[in-house]
Amino acid sequence: MTTIAIAPTRVDVRPAVLAVLRWIVAIAGALVIFGVLMWTKGANPLTAYSSMFETLTRDTALSGIVIKATPLILAALAVAVPARAGLVNVGGEGQLVMGGVAAARVARLFGPGAPGGLVLVGMAVGAALVGAGWAAVGGLLRVRVGISEAVTTLLLNYIALNVMFFLIYDPWKDLAGGGQPTSPAIPVAQRLPLIGSGSMAVHAGILVALIATAAMWWVLRSTRWGFKLEVVGGNAEAARRAGFAVGLLLIGAMAVGGALAGLGGFAQLAGTEFKLRPGFLVTYGYIAFLASWLARHKPVRVAVAAVVLAAISVSGDSLQLDSRLPAATVNVLMALVLLAVFGWTSRRSEA
Amino acid sequence: MSLLITEVCAGAIAGGTCILYAAVGESFSESAGVVNLGVEGSMLVGALAGYAVTAEAGNPWAGVIGAAVCGAVLAAVHAWFVLSRRSNQLATGLVVMFLGLGLTSLFGAAYVARTVESFSAWDVPGLSSIPFVGPVLFRHDPLTYLSYALVPAAWWVLYRSRWGLLIRGAGERRHVLETYGHPALGVQYGSVILGGALAGIGGAQLSTAYANAWFENMSQGRGFIGAAVVIFAARQPFKVAAGAYLFGAALALSPALQARNVSIPILDNQFALASIPYVAILVVLVVLGRKRAAEAPEGLKAVFG
Repeated sequence: MTTIAIAPTRVDVRPAVLAVLRWIVAIAGALVIFGVLMWTKGANPLTAYSSMFETLTRDTALSGIVIKATPLILAALAVAVPARAGLVNVGGEGQLVMGGVAAARVARLFGPGAPGGLVLVGMAVGAALVGAGWAAVGGLLRVRVGISEAVTTLLLNYIALNVMFFLIYDPWKDLAGGGQPTSPAIPVAQRLPLIGSGSMAVHAGILVALIATAAMWWVLRSTRWGFKLEVVGGNAEAARRAGFAVGLLLIGAMAVGGALAGLGGFAQLAGTEFKLRPGFLVTYGYIAFLASWLARHKPVRVAVAAVVLAAISVSGDSLQLDSRLPAATVNVLMALVLLAVFGWTSRRSEA
Repeated sequence: MSLLITEVCAGAIAGGTCILYAAVGESFSESAGVVNLGVEGSMLVGALAGYAVTAEAGNPWAGVIGAAVCGAVLAAVHAWFVLSRRSNQLATGLVVMFLGLGLTSLFGAAYVARTVESFSAWDVPGLSSIPFVGPVLFRHDPLTYLSYALVPAAWWVLYRSRWGLLIRGAGERRHVLETYGHPALGVQYGSVILGGALAGIGGAQLSTAYANAWFENMSQGRGFIGAAVVIFAARQPFKVAAGAYLFGAALALSPALQARNVSIPILDNQFALASIPYVAILVVLVVLGRKRAAEAPEGLKAVFG
């Protein structure tokens, strides 16, 4: 009995129409359940949904979605690449944070006077390396000790968060920050440049995310490494007999994923937040995990799913403003959507 | 020094009990071949339900029942998706955890600053005055005393009773069970749901006995730690208890040291101290992990790859 996390060559004889219909029913079901939950908290579901939709039609919505999607896409790819080899990387949260921490460290190292382009490249490289290293721990423990990477990467998330807290409450604390536990803001010259203009302006991090998506699409589809990952994910024993270095492939897949998430942390720091703070990228790692599973780990679809979840998240801001529900409420909707998709689009039980 | 040891050991019991409940629950689930990372969500839901019901009903025992029910319901969601819809166990568990996190922030906001009539410590007459043993074991809340009975009871059920045989059979060879006419699926459902109920009670212990407060995401990975404890304890309740108390001790060490102004470089920082339980469990997993992974039920090996 093998549990296959991904179904790369899924033969579906049902008509595509039926598949689309299932998706619609699944998402409608999630919306109904979420509506009932909002209703029990005294919010009118219809007004809540219409104000969520209305939020998405505003001028600023598009840039808001793109900015939110940038780290999500990168962290979702960080789930998708290891998933190709059958690994469950739940450490996006920690890998994002460590990427941000590494980027902040590099900026401190260069100092405020250094040329922006050089510092940005340094930050990106540092973030990718540290993210890769952080994720590789999970891969290494899986290969050498046989512990599930899902458990270890989860535990590493809490350690990463404490590392950041330690830094921003003590050695890196911005003394001019009015007592707030944040690192000093990185200088304007060392921030990611804006692209677009007016209400459509977004930072260049989205380009990093799009290039990463294209690169992962190509790597997983057309390279020997991508092929080997797929073989390992399908049947590790067969891959071992074929002479593949399975251990190295697994650790490598985790490291590449971690590097991508690390870049997400870099993009958020250098493009959006400019300083580390206690809520830096909180729950982004989990939302990215949902995005990758929603899209069955295919890079381009994963990026689309990340954008959709970013849109739900942005529209969810209206729940806080108009319906006076807590900000995290929208996470319930995201979880319900994914559960609905798991429940309605998976194959039927054999039992 | 002996005072410090007493304090850390007492803290190990106090801080480890909620992990103990979750981990014993997860032992049932994993023995039946289902990994439930949603145990973290069950714990959170239990922590809020325990606190909210206690606040509304004025009785912490009502809170415990509410916590068990809510924890069980969330675990039932996990069970349905992985057992009846065959979705990936690890991913589904994570989504269930995320659902629990969202639900508790939605329904928990009203209880954040509320104080309730929660469990208080009750010194066992006589036993609590035994030197060392008394303060460590017998000056706690009722849910902690209940957990002392839970551990041998869980061991007996899992390893000495017919029920345990069915549960472990469902985890190892569910087709054999079905061949002999036992409802393997029902046994698996029951185990996962029981696990969620226990995790919920663990959450109630956290909010109404240990912290006496509710705040968002208050379990802080304790459910995940519970799931990790189950791995290296190989689902054996007594070892699970030892593991849970070990991490309770890791939690208790920091306030005990701080209170004495003991300064260890780096470790005198609260966030470095807060990392100790997570680092400690990773280290223990590395030391004991390989052996344990080989002992896992067949059904689990498929999940963990």
